[in-house]
Amino acid sequence: MISKIRIIVQGIFLLLFFWLFLQTESKGEDVLGYPVKIFLDADPLIFITTLLAGHVWSSSFFLAVLVIVATAILGRVFCGWICPLGTLNNIVGTFQKRRSNRAPLKLHWLKYCILIFLVTASLFSLQFAGIFDPIALLIRSLSLSVYPLASYAAKATFDTLYNFPIPVLVDISEFIYALFKKLFLPFQQPFFFQSFFLGLLFFIILGLNLLEKRFWCKYICPLGALLGVLSRFSLLQRTVTEGCNSCGTCTFECQGGAAPDQKEKWHNTECLVCMNCDDICPENAVRFGFLKKSRTAPLDLGKRRVLGMIMAGIATVPLIRITAINKQAGAGEPRLIRPPGSLEEKQFLERCVKCGECMKVCITGGLQPTFMEAGLEGIWSPVLVPKVGYCEYRCTLCGQVCPTGAIRKLEQKEKEKTKIGLAMIDHGRCLPYAHAMPCIVCQEVCPTPQKAIWLEKTKVTNKDGKELNLNQPHIDLELCIGCGLCEAKCPILGQPAIYVTSIGESRSKDNQLLLS
Amino acid sequence: MKRRDFLKSALLAGTVLTIPGGIGFLGKAFAAAEKTDLAVAAGSSPAAITKAAIEALGGIKEFIARGDVVVVKPNIGWDRLPEYAATTNPEVVKTVVALCYEAGAKQVRIFDHAVVDPRRCYKQSGIAAAAAAAGGIVSFIDDRKFRDMRLPGVALKSWPLYTEAIEADKFINIPIAKTHGLSTLTLGMKNLMGIMGGSRGRIHQRIDGSLVDMAMTVKPSLVIIDAVRILTANGPQGGDLADVKQLNTIIAGKDQVAVDAYGATLFGLKGTDIGCVTAGHKAGLGIMDLTKLKIKKINV
Repeated sequence: MISKIRIIVQGIFLLLFFWLFLQTESKGEDVLGYPVKIFLDADPLIFITTLLAGHVWSSSFFLAVLVIVATAILGRVFCGWICPLGTLNNIVGTFQKRRSNRAPLKLHWLKYCILIFLVTASLFSLQFAGIFDPIALLIRSLSLSVYPLASYAAKATFDTLYNFPIPVLVDISEFIYALFKKLFLPFQQPFFFQSFFLGLLFFIILGLNLLEKRFWCKYICPLGALLGVLSRFSLLQRTVTEGCNSCGTCTFECQGGAAPDQKEKWHNTECLVCMNCDDICPENAVRFGFLKKSRTAPLDLGKRRVLGMIMAGIATVPLIRITAINKQAGAGEPRLIRPPGSLEEKQFLERCVKCGECMKVCITGGLQPTFMEAGLEGIWSPVLVPKVGYCEYRCTLCGQVCPTGAIRKLEQKEKEKTKIGLAMIDHGRCLPYAHAMPCIVCQEVCPTPQKAIWLEKTKVTNKDGKELNLNQPHIDLELCIGCGLCEAKCPILGQPAIYVTSIGESRSKDNQLLLS
Repeated sequence: MKRRDFLKSALLAGTVLTIPGGIGFLGKAFAAAEKTDLAVAAGSSPAAITKAAIEALGGIKEFIARGDVVVVKPNIGWDRLPEYAATTNPEVVKTVVALCYEAGAKQVRIFDHAVVDPRRCYKQSGIAAAAAAAGGIVSFIDDRKFRDMRLPGVALKSWPLYTEAIEADKFINIPIAKTHGLSTLTLGMKNLMGIMGGSRGRIHQRIDGSLVDMAMTVKPSLVIIDAVRILTANGPQGGDLADVKQLNTIIAGKDQVAVDAYGATLFGLKGTDIGCVTAGHKAGLGIMDLTKLKIKKINV
């Protein structure tokens, strides 16, 4: 009975999550208007690691505190009733053949090790939790891979029908397509680097449920581990009465693999409060109640594992940071153009949880996940790739959705003055310079009120020996904000004759060109 | 009516009735003699001057017939608020859409191939809301609706154009007058780039001929230059109110070259200063010599 209520609650939270995910898209207004990052705000792992690594309280930390308090009272209800990735795992798990006789792996200790590693690293300012955090992982996977996949498949299907116009059929398909677009398809097809890789990881995580239900939740999820620790002494406790004859029925239904049939030796930190055991027990011997004393097995990871993970967490911090990228300003990837409002790189990395919200919301799709451009520490953090999409001059959405303030929320006026880099012209490729041909596209599109590209009327001789008056573009280094619109629209495709690098970015003290 | 006038017209009517073809024939001849090439209306209300300019050309029924599918093509190319004069005045667009429906148009469609994000352009320019309020069907560009089409070949032999624009019964071009780095100004003919697909950046290599090709292909029924506000520098995108000049003017006409030639005068230039105007004149698309045109000026 209670598990039926739980399924409804899970469904509601999953739908809420999806709905907010779909709202993470521009409608042309300046502000999004929905709290699309609310699940990340409520994530205690993000909250604690951000606090430790970046020494900041996130803006809506009370939601995370609420989850912590709820866990201390009720146990891992977040895992069992709320977490959207948990619910997805739950759903995929139902496709598993029932009662397989394979013995469970019992790798529960693994997730605590991951948690210890992540928390230790964050204590020493390395924010790596986002890689494993279920909410960040889910939003990242959906944004960069699954949603683009769905969009592409829909477009391909409806385009096929559109291009073989069978009179009535095409009307119906176009009607459905328009409806889909209105309801859940993106405004434009998203394209992301590494989408295949990220999608593969996600589908593997889902697929592991076929090996063992909620494999991720039981063995890997560091948020589950954190909540497990918090739930150890929760007020709501499960007890088993004398009536239990250790038939083992409940073990098959237990979502956390908490060994519920083991009476005093069951693992209450693994209990997701799904209440399946209570519902299924043929002897009706399971009770959930407050302030009852429940005897459980100790949470024992072994000293070596704990010590090992602490050491690993500490050692990883310098290890990951001795890449030559960090030697001096400009040593790293010059095309590492961060979104407007990003903190200075060191602080940025201390806060970015790689959730992909900014990439999802980016109006031009120019924000892409990095691979090694920012070192391993910065993997899957946002980088603007102007050839894919420029930074829209009056758009401030990425800062609105960032859950940790790695990208600050900017007022429009401030955004319009925030430099994310500088454009330079390649005279060897630019048409008016190299080929005596007219072209001023970069100047035409330059969005700053006083254009950051100025034209010099120059006499040039073309290949026929004819003298022409041509406008040759120049960059005004003070006015250019590095938005990359010029690069995006330059007709010299592939390797544009005007391109942006991060030099001059407002957020950096050292990565500068002009004396000011 | 004075008595003498009455007698005159009565006499004239009598004569006319005796001629085969009757009044209709004379009416046409009369209109031809009276026909205004360009209407220039000035006044503080964008809606009123738009109406007045169209009225001076003989009214909207001169251009739109009952049952027409009409495409109204404003400039919605940039993410700017109306007061920055980078996009067509929404009131002007709304008025034209309403007039088309008054003339019995079946459908009035509004779209533009924006340069930057279309969602922001449509919203921030105020055009989507204004046009929809008048019953216009506002749509974003659908990439599937571009088809390679043959062009006259002044500069372009073929280019992907937006089928909805080409297949419409009538096309009304409503640009806003702005400066532009390459074509000096962007007026009516330049606004036609908004129905071009493909890699439009390449057009700039031979822009004047390309625009003439577009003008000859699209053949708008009416061109209305919005000069309620004009952008005098840092065009076509603008962004600085100091570059905006309030002229409270609408220029309307059927001759694409003539309308643009007059538009140039707003900036203290002549038609001959604008490449596509000169090229259009040479190609026989229209007349750029303003002295040869019948221009009607109205103050509202």
